[in-house]
Amino acid sequence: MKKDTLILSFESSCDETSVAVIKNGKEILSNIIATQIKSHQRFGGVVPEVASRHHVEEVTHCIELALDEAKVGYDDLDAVAVTYGPGLVGSLLIGIMAAKTVAFAHDLPLIKANHLAGHIYSANLVADLQYPFMALLVSGGHTEIVLVRAPGEFETLGDTRDDAVGEAYDKIGRVLGINYPAGKKVDEMAARGNDIFDFPRAMVQEDNLDFSFSGLKSSFINRVHHADQIHEELNKDDLAASFQGAVLDILSNKIFRALKQHPVKQLVVAGGVAANQGLRQRLKKDIEERNLDMDLIFPPLRLCGDNAAMIGAIAQIQYDKKDFADLTINADPSLDF
Amino acid sequence: MKILAFDTSNKPLTVAVVCDGDVLASIESTEKKTHSVSLLPDIQQALKDSKLSMDEIDLIAVAQGPGSYTGVRIAVTVAKTLAFTLKKNLVGVSSLEVLAADGSEDKILVPLMDARNDNAFAGVYQYQDGELVNLIEDHHTSMEKLLDTLKQYESDKLEFINATEHLTDLIKDVYPEAMVMDTKDSLPEADKLAKLAENKPAVSDIDNFVPNYLRLTQAEHDWYQKGHKKDGNISYVEEV
Ligand SMILES: [Zn+2]
Repeated sequence: MKKDTLILSFESSCDETSVAVIKNGKEILSNIIATQIKSHQRFGGVVPEVASRHHVEEVTHCIELALDEAKVGYDDLDAVAVTYGPGLVGSLLIGIMAAKTVAFAHDLPLIKANHLAGHIYSANLVADLQYPFMALLVSGGHTEIVLVRAPGEFETLGDTRDDAVGEAYDKIGRVLGINYPAGKKVDEMAARGNDIFDFPRAMVQEDNLDFSFSGLKSSFINRVHHADQIHEELNKDDLAASFQGAVLDILSNKIFRALKQHPVKQLVVAGGVAANQGLRQRLKKDIEERNLDMDLIFPPLRLCGDNAAMIGAIAQIQYDKKDFADLTINADPSLDF
Repeated sequence: MKILAFDTSNKPLTVAVVCDGDVLASIESTEKKTHSVSLLPDIQQALKDSKLSMDEIDLIAVAQGPGSYTGVRIAVTVAKTLAFTLKKNLVGVSSLEVLAADGSEDKILVPLMDARNDNAFAGVYQYQDGELVNLIEDHHTSMEKLLDTLKQYESDKLEFINATEHLTDLIKDVYPEAMVMDTKDSLPEADKLAKLAENKPAVSDIDNFVPNYLRLTQAEHDWYQKGHKKDGNISYVEEV
């Protein structure tokens, strides 16, 4: 029988400090997440310097909790993994320095993981992935369609040309008076409202797999400002529903275009915006209507946001390939596939 | 006692291993190195040079700031993680005190770090019976205020350490006769950091060991300016 692999993984690319222990890239023994949301809400968004400071405050405590909860010691570990990008450089560096230190102190192999790959492989913690599979990565920093041809082999088919989808939610949320992060609230409001404003669906006619959300964001903001000027009262739920309606049309259009070009058995939707209920229902309905024989995999909510368990999942693939890093690794804030 | 000491609070990176006052290894680099890349390999090298393993180290000493925010965080993160994961004692030493350690025995030592816009991080130190004593605590200050505060000392006794060209100009305007060591001549030395650490108590709560930035972030500063107060009932970071 194959020996179990235990990986201690770190994630600190934005405003969550997270440390996890993952067994064989599949089983979560622990996944400690310390979130800084309440701190950054004071400022209406993530402040990088504040984020870095919080990471230093949290990191050793998270390691301790992760090992305790997993009931393992350093001798049980096979490797240490860490997100090295993309993300905020000052935030990434804390996880990187802590991970390197643990690897050095206990003479463990070190694995540098791509945060985006981590998000996609959060699905590996809840499903058996079959290659090739398609991934829609939607978060505050990313909107990408990625074809995963084989374990750890990624091909970006589509990307956003301007704002990330989660970013657009936060920006229109601000106009609606919703504090960052706005996604959850807008999703709830959208469920109550109706899509009556007919906002533009950018690029859905274009035969490519790229996204654009800035035009949608601008029309939304203009519509609200115009109403303010003429003292017209707009229903906020309808505004949210109209915004979300456009977002879902754009995402759906592009992902099914990609699936037509590359038929697969599984569609993974990952990243913070994968927590959106409207998106979950929409893609489920679309697949049923199209009669596609394809599994739709949404990781549970806890694995949609940034967390170290997903880093342990992708790190296992690198571990199997002996894709190890050394103590000189540095942050790569704009890392892509 | 075997001490591993390091300082990355500014451009220079320095790592040393000191055993009962003897410097077993010392790595200093002044050329522009990326601290996040070099620090652990340099620690590894210093241990190798001193023929010690990490297990044999009794104490980790780190320059805790002030300094470059990122630089200080890099060293502090490595130090606290190392102390935590190997259950070692940890001591934080002021980065300014490390600079002051290089000063003259008979002077009033004013280590500085340029904080831009005519501001600096500064402290005042003096050697008394061979021990470095802190006279004025490290703080963030305008140069004008600092130079005014220093009027309580005889001006020919003052020795400024780690002054940038700009700070030197400001100092010379007020104290033309004062001794000023520029940044090139004011390099932190980790072996001195180790010796300073020997006389200080070990950190009791490693989790809560953080850099001494001596300055709020701009965002927090603005937030307080708007009349906000920290609410003791809210924990800004929470485990979920
Ligand atoms: Zn993310």
